[in-house]
Amino acid sequence: MTNSEVQRIRRTSVAILSGCLALSLTCVVYPFYVIRPFRAQGARELAIALVVMRFRSAATLVSGAAAVAALVLYWRAQPRRRRRAFAAAGAAFVCVLAALARVNIYELMFHPDDRPSFAAASRMKLDKDEKVIAVKIGGAARAYPIRNISYHHVINDVLDKVAIVATY
Amino acid sequence: MWGRDVAGLRLTFHLAGINNQNFLMRDDQTGTYWQQISGKAVSGPLSGSQLPFVHSDELNFGAWESEEPQGTVLQDAVQYRFGYARKDWDVRMQRAPTVIDFREHGLKGRDLMLGIQAFGASRAFPYDQVIREKLVQDHVGAEPVLLVVGADGQSVRAFRDHIPGIQGSPDFYRMPGNQAGTPGALLMDAATGSEWNFQGCAVSGKAKGACLEPVEVIKDYWFDWRNFNPSTTVYGKK
Repeated sequence: MTNSEVQRIRRTSVAILSGCLALSLTCVVYPFYVIRPFRAQGARELAIALVVMRFRSAATLVSGAAAVAALVLYWRAQPRRRRRAFAAAGAAFVCVLAALARVNIYELMFHPDDRPSFAAASRMKLDKDEKVIAVKIGGAARAYPIRNISYHHVINDVLDKVAIVATY
Repeated sequence: MWGRDVAGLRLTFHLAGINNQNFLMRDDQTGTYWQQISGKAVSGPLSGSQLPFVHSDELNFGAWESEEPQGTVLQDAVQYRFGYARKDWDVRMQRAPTVIDFREHGLKGRDLMLGIQAFGASRAFPYDQVIREKLVQDHVGAEPVLLVVGADGQSVRAFRDHIPGIQGSPDFYRMPGNQAGTPGALLMDAATGSEWNFQGCAVSGKAKGACLEPVEVIKDYWFDWRNFNPSTTVYGKK
């Protein structure tokens, strides 16, 4: 392999690594930046962030694989240990970002009630002035105390064979 | 409240994001994002779809229990009980900051409103004003509506102001508790002289057995209602 070919491989692999790092970082940071609490969301930036969130798992996985492949190429073409280590750290960070892209901070912060249970109204010890969201379907009536649902925010339920989602 | 059956699928939702302090849900089946307040799919394979509407009321437990003694109630999940809010959660949240602000009609972002989106229009009613007036006869779009405060002085329901078989929109009057001839009666209408309860059903008089058509009313903060209902009008404001 000529010296110029080695140089080209180094440049190409560094470019791929840098691109992967930029792509993965964007996939993780941009939605978090846009969709964070106590910040106003513009319609366009929110739409972009949601698209990124939908595709970032696959995108960062491909990016991680490309980064590792680029690292292998670079490793073979670069004899200096410090530069190899720097490239390896970059590829490892891309892999970490691929893992982080599978985490939705909101899904960690808010705990769904995956197995909601219900009791007869007469058995519940609720204050008379406690607020509830009430629904009646067919002959079946159900109440969701706001004290509870304002924590879970979403309750997937079935009432009188009708699948409903109570939200607050 | 929304139905979960859409496009031949039974969807399961969880909270997955936020849009100006109104949350976004994501369904496990398709990964589509849905806006909580509107039930509309805003991003994903089902984008543009609408969840089926399911009528619900926000009531005090006592009012609901007296109507539905056989009803069932969501129980606390023991492992999360420590995180549950106090029962005056919505009032306490009035102190929280907002990220958007609509300085209109002299309203503050966290003022509690009763919002109705129906009949091709949106209209918001200041909660405190409705509680004070106890009975509001108004219009949403061209449709006459009633907002009625329950006997507990806190629960509110809305109805179309139309009695089946009676032309026009009759006047309703609030009856003081000690003047109600029939238990549970809150209102009397001028067209038939019937007494009506908080469920919107006539419990005495010519209309006995008839019920007014319920209208969904959402208790919401002004900034949120206004953000998702930009053309809303406000009761008592010009």
